[in-house]
Formats: sequence, C-alpha cells, structure tokens
Amino acid sequence: MTQAGALERAEARRNSASAGVLVAPALVIAVVMMLAPLAILARYSLNRFDPAELMVTAFTAQNYVKFFSDPFYLGVLWTTLRVTVIVTVVCLLLGVPMAWRLARSASRWKSAWIVLLILPLFIGSVTRTAGWMILFARGGMLDIVARALFGYGGVDLMFTETAVIFGIISINLPFTILTLQSVFEGIDTRLEEAAASMGAAPAQCFRRVIMPLAMPGVLIAGVLCFILSMNAFATPLLLGGPRFQMMGPLLYWEFSNNNNWPFAGVLAFILMATTLALTVLANIAVPRRYRPA
Amino acid sequence: MGKVNFMPVSRRSVLAGAAALAAPALLSRTAKADERCVVGTWGGDYARLLRENIDDPILKPAGVEVVQAVGDEAPRLAQLQAQRQLPRGALDISCLGALNGSVAANLNLLETLDETKVPNLKHVDARLHSGTFMPNQFVPHIWSVQGIAYNPQTVKDPPKKLADLLDPKWKGKVGALATADKWVIQGAALAAGGSSNDFDKGKEFLLKLNANGLRVYPQTDDMAPAFKSGEIEVGIVWLARTVMWQNAEFPVAGLVPEEGAIIYISGMVVPKNAPDKETAFKYMNALLEPSAQRGFAAHMGYIPTVNDAELAGKVAEQLALPTDAKLVQPDYAKVTAASADLSDWWLKNILRK
Repeated sequence: MTQAGALERAEARRNSASAGVLVAPALVIAVVMMLAPLAILARYSLNRFDPAELMVTAFTAQNYVKFFSDPFYLGVLWTTLRVTVIVTVVCLLLGVPMAWRLARSASRWKSAWIVLLILPLFIGSVTRTAGWMILFARGGMLDIVARALFGYGGVDLMFTETAVIFGIISINLPFTILTLQSVFEGIDTRLEEAAASMGAAPAQCFRRVIMPLAMPGVLIAGVLCFILSMNAFATPLLLGGPRFQMMGPLLYWEFSNNNNWPFAGVLAFILMATTLALTVLANIAVPRRYRPA
Repeated sequence: MGKVNFMPVSRRSVLAGAAALAAPALLSRTAKADERCVVGTWGGDYARLLRENIDDPILKPAGVEVVQAVGDEAPRLAQLQAQRQLPRGALDISCLGALNGSVAANLNLLETLDETKVPNLKHVDARLHSGTFMPNQFVPHIWSVQGIAYNPQTVKDPPKKLADLLDPKWKGKVGALATADKWVIQGAALAAGGSSNDFDKGKEFLLKLNANGLRVYPQTDDMAPAFKSGEIEVGIVWLARTVMWQNAEFPVAGLVPEEGAIIYISGMVVPKNAPDKETAFKYMNALLEPSAQRGFAAHMGYIPTVNDAELAGKVAEQLALPTDAKLVQPDYAKVTAASADLSDWWLKNILRK
C-alpha cells in the first residue's frame, strides 16, 4: 500500500514536472511581453511632460494628481463606467436567453445559428463600426426609413452615447452568448427533468436550478464583456465622435495629439486598475458558491 | 592514346573567372545598399504619391532605393527623440507637420541644411521661410491655408470672414476638425481682431462659435459627407481639402478669410543621426523638384513649396490664392510652447458636450 502510494506520488511529481516544462516557455513569454511594457509605462507615468522637450525624466506623482483633481477626467472615467455597466447588463439580459435556447436546441439548424452568431467575429470591429456609421448617420439607412415612415424629423444617432452603446453591444454580444452557451451545454438536462418531475414550472426550474449552476459562467461572461467595454477604443472614437469621451480615445488623444506620454501612461494605468478592481469586486460580491472554481 | 585533359583551364583560373563574373553583381548590391534611404512617412495617398512622384521617377534611376516606414506622426516624433543618443538612428528622413518639426528643432534633433547639400533649397517660396527653422532644418514639402469651405449649392452668400460665423444664421451649420485645435485657435485669434498668437482672444471667439452650434468632426474627410447631407453648410478647413472634395464631386467651394489665413505646412527633416545623410540630402532635393511638386499639387490640392513649379490649367485655377490674401505664418516657437495648454483647453471647452 505504502509502495503503491509512493509510486503514485512519483508519477504525480513526473506529471507536474513535465507540465511545468511545457507551460514554462509560454509563461515566460507572456510574463515578459506583458510585464515589461507595463513596467516601462509605470516609469513613464512618473515622468514630467514639457511641450518643448516632450518627456522629461522625473519622479513625480503630478500626473496622477492632475487626473484625480480634475472633474473633466473623473467625468470621462464615470462615462466609461456608465457605458460599460449598461453594455454588460444588456449583453447578459440578451445573451442568457439566447445562449440557453441555443444550448437546448435539438434543431438541425443549430449549427447554422452558431455560425451566424460567430460570423460577425470574422469582421474586424472597425469595419463593423463603419457599418453602424452608415446606419446611424444623417442621411443613413435609419434616417431614411424614419423619414419615410414618420415624415419630418428623421433620426441622427451618430456621435451619441446611444450609438456607442449599440456599437459595443454588437461587438460584445457574440462573445457573451458563446461563453454562456458552453456553460449551459455543460449542465445535465436530467436536472431539468428531475425538477419538472417534482412539479417545477420551466421558469422556476430555470431560476432555481439552472441559473445557480450557470452563475460561475455568467460571471465570467459578464467580466469578459465588462473588460472589453472598459477598453473600447474604435467604437467610441468612430460612433461617439470627438465630443464623446471615454478613457480609450482620451488616452490616444494625449498620446497622439499632445505627445504627452506621461499622462497617457497615467490614463492607461488608471483604466487598467479600475477594470481590475471592479472585476475583483464583482467576484467578491457574488456568493462564494456561485464563483468560478 | 595520350591522357585527355578534360580540364583545359586550371581550378584556380575558374575560381578567378567566377569571382570576376560575380564582382559586378556584388558591387552593384553594395552600391544599392549604400544608396538606401529610409523615409518615415504617413501612409495612404501621401505614401503612394511619394512613390509615384519622387521615389520611382527621380531616385530610382539615380540608384537610390527608398524604403518607406509608414506610421503616425506622433510616434515618429517620439522615435526621433528616443533615438537621439544613438550614433545611428532608424530614419534618414522623417515627415512631420511644421509644428512637430519645430518641437524636433527645439530638441536639437535636426540636421541643418544649406544649398550646398540641397541645391533646390534656393527655390523654396519666401512666404514659407521662418527664421533658421524653415527651410534649413524643416524642408517644406506641401502647404495650404486654413480657409472657409462652404456648400455652393445651398450658400449663395458665403461668409467672407471667420467672424461672420458668429451670425445666428449659421447656427448649427458650421463644422471644424477636432484635431486642428491649435490651427483653429490661431484662426479664431485673427477673427477676434488679434494676432495669431493672441490665444486668449481666439479662445473667447471660439466659445461664442461653440455656443452658436459648432459641429466638430474627428477626421477631415468626415466633413465632406456632412456637406453633402446638408448637416453643415460652412467649415473651417484646409483649402487643399476643398480641392480634393471638388475633384471627388462633393459640393464644396473654398475661400480665404478676410482676417487672414493660417498657413499649414507639411514637410520633412533629416535627423542628426540619420544613417545615410548624403542620400537623405538627395531625397530632399528630389522632394523640391518641380515635377514632384506638381504631382502633389494635382492629386492632393496642396500648393508647391518652390517658386519654379508653375502650375497650369485646372490645377492652377483651383490652387490660386487671391493676390491680396493675407497669409499668416504661425509663430512656431510660441505655438509649441503653448500647445499643451491650447490642446487641454480645446478638449475641455470645445470638445466637451
């Protein structure tokens, strides 16, 4: 018995060692590629900006103070959070029933539905956003239809927060649905049959049995959607226009228009820290039994 | 029967012959590599026109291979600064706007040129000269002015000056470019009766214009469809763009504002640590050749920066500025010093909803 245990332990050590060897190169590359730029950015964010000399080596927190003491920048962060929360909630509200229906579908068209869902992901987000621009612009499709139906007035959604929210939802929804669908696929259908046999209505079964089991997956889908929205760049830039500020485009403005790398570094760090903090907070807020393993 | 010699020449002479045959190829390869010019430039039409008007017709026959490093202007300036300590930088030529060129000159990053290095410098239009900076450090390539664009189909009595745009009849019908902050503020300063450096007067004017429903567009080309759809009837924009839009059959005409028009110049610089300065000088000279200048004028609507590239026909008509036009060269040192504040102000006061 002891000998068998020793053999098992040796086998486990071998497996662990070989796994380590396989994982190590990718891990090293990932860590270097991620941490090295972050370290450089962190250093830059403590430098000083001078319009004539650009970045001047220093060790100052003045860029961070500038962000937190200026209502304009705090307002941009707030707008980013507001848009992100709306997008995440809408994606989950739309995504859960769609993913559930897809997971439980026995139709021969199921593969076709999944392909249709994935199809938008084959098109770059900028190209898709260009499509939205044609739809939303004055004289665009929505405007023409609205004028034809309602006469005077028309619809001009370009350069509005609504357009940005629509645009980001269109990008994030397929990711949300695909994540949720795989979660629902993993839930045993016999659980629903058992609930039904005990008199639970379908809605009650979904609420009391399926959703608690799917919660870890829902949390992951929500976090994925949240991160994508917080860091959105092309959509707010193209659909929101220059007067709609979110953190991503603002960061690019500081970098490209002002050549202010230290402040752009600060914006990048604050965006990253906020995203990370809220992701952790969401994880804590969900009861332990519903969290991903 | 004697021994037949299948090798009438010795191995040594074969090797020598092969080396002699290979020598021109090797030498020409070396020569080609010696005459390589790396140009950091914008992409799109600009890069294509550089190839079509400078690289292929002028430099290629002279044995200069041009390699384009395509990218945005801000990273290019940052690259110049980051590589300043290196004995050899990555670029022989860098394309910059005059404002960023001025920043690079202030940082002492640029090679000083003269007519012995770039003979065509003597042809640079005197209106574009600016102290020791231009054309001796920053060689102007194309230029235009910030003017008033309008839709001739709907505007029968166009505004003659920027100050007219405060009239309530233009409410919500005027467009400007979001990234042209420093230029619009300078133009507004002229409209408010000051010099182009009276930034506070410009800001005051722009607040009034903003209150009159100024529309702001992310990219210059976003304004053309806005003219077409009727969203705007008037715009503050480079006159070169109005020429491009006219050629693309958008309903746009342009005029020079009476208060004066701010000059916009795009040009090139040779970094002090350029790997091959001699080739860079050849490139600069080719840049100022009349044929190259005419090519850009015809396709991009920008005015030649040299006085020996006369235009003819429709292009000459489209690009002609009124003889009494008041052209204002920015005070690059002052604009550069104030640029961060101007940009910050623009972001928080004009771009804020």
